[in-house]
Amino acid sequence: MNRKAVQCASAMWALALSLLISHPLPAQVAGATLSGTITSPSGAAVPNAKVSAKNVASGQSSETQTSSTGTFTLPDLAPGDYEVSVSADGFAANPTKVTLTAGTPQTVNLSLTANLPNAPSSSTTEPSLSDLGFSSSQTQGNTREQALLDKRTHMLKIHQRMGLITTIPLIATVVTSLNAGGKNTSTASRDLHTALGGLTGDLYGITAYYAIRAPRAPGVETRGPIRFHKAMAWIHGPGMILTPILGIMAYNQKSNGEKVHGIAAAHGPVAIVTAGAFGAALLSVSIKF
Amino acid sequence: MKKNILIAFALLVLPALADSQWMLKDCTLTYHVSHPLHQTEGVSHAARGKGSCHDGQCDFLIAVPVKSFDSGDSNRDIHMVQVTRGAEFPMVIVRTRLPESSATSATINADLEIQFAGQTAQYKQVPFKLETKDGETHLTGTIPATLSDFKIDPPSLLTLPVKNDIPVRVEMTWRPQ
Repeated sequence: MNRKAVQCASAMWALALSLLISHPLPAQVAGATLSGTITSPSGAAVPNAKVSAKNVASGQSSETQTSSTGTFTLPDLAPGDYEVSVSADGFAANPTKVTLTAGTPQTVNLSLTANLPNAPSSSTTEPSLSDLGFSSSQTQGNTREQALLDKRTHMLKIHQRMGLITTIPLIATVVTSLNAGGKNTSTASRDLHTALGGLTGDLYGITAYYAIRAPRAPGVETRGPIRFHKAMAWIHGPGMILTPILGIMAYNQKSNGEKVHGIAAAHGPVAIVTAGAFGAALLSVSIKF
Repeated sequence: MKKNILIAFALLVLPALADSQWMLKDCTLTYHVSHPLHQTEGVSHAARGKGSCHDGQCDFLIAVPVKSFDSGDSNRDIHMVQVTRGAEFPMVIVRTRLPESSATSATINADLEIQFAGQTAQYKQVPFKLETKDGETHLTGTIPATLSDFKIDPPSLLTLPVKNDIPVRVEMTWRPQ
């Protein structure tokens, strides 16, 4: 074997060895990716939660934080068994075990529980919630009740806004009533008054719907101005039904050239009482007397 | 032999006997909410608390149910529970550590950790006045809490939101056990 052949063979061996040695390296770098979403007991995304994945074999940990949408990604993890733990203010979660394989993305979605520090404290001296004698029903969160309260508030907010909006055509109806009755009135004035009254009735119906259909909070006794607010509904509610009925009767009598008479003559007084009760109901929850 | 047992007993048991505990006897917590149309206060007398002292340091824990605050209007109280996620996180929990010697001071500055509405907020050096009478320690002060500390969206009335500040007035009476 001449010198050139030896050099060539050595170069081939070196190349083969380098290929053999370097081949496994990309497999180590291109590790597994762990991703997922962290949610609260109500299903809402938990941002800024600390997510930690600990390799069971090596003990090495990789950490990241969840995004504003509760998602996280831990790239380039070595394949193997991992213990995934999550910590977030006000929440608790038990560590979860996952097995990662090279090149295969793994998804872990975790739902946290409300953090109720009523478990005995790790320190022997630090007092815990259980030391204070609260019952578990007092200290444990209830996501279903929270969802009910959320729905209640949502519906009552619409009730409040619709009530304010209803006030505008209500006032306009009362104002136009001055030209709708009496001797010197025109059909146009009566029509305008009727149209505004109809609009008020429709908006009032929507307002009332959201108050009636809003879920009740369990075990709560009604106290304070809301009692007056509800009591007024027993006046303006029937009034809002009676007023248009009497109004139609008065309208027909007036259109026939008659003087408004009989029960239809009560349209005006009933409307005033109704509007007054509606205004009082509005003020009772708006201004502290 | 007996002497050794006595020494061992003294070493093991006496330090434990030196530890002391405090119990919360009475407590009034009052939060204040400002709205352009309303000034509202909600009061709770339902707080419970305990303090455990060891090596000259006392760890205090005070907890109060969110639902126990009464503003005189059930509708407002339910709304308060809703916006603070009080059904999901039903307790307000306060923790602090104070030197045992501070029980004899006229004022203390406490570092408070408060868990509320699923969040934890730290309040540094909150001043409290102390008065000791008949073996009981009466403590008063105000925690400068804000809605944003606990990521609570300000509730609104007639489309006007309340102010961010919700100072909590604290009046407590502790007695040693």
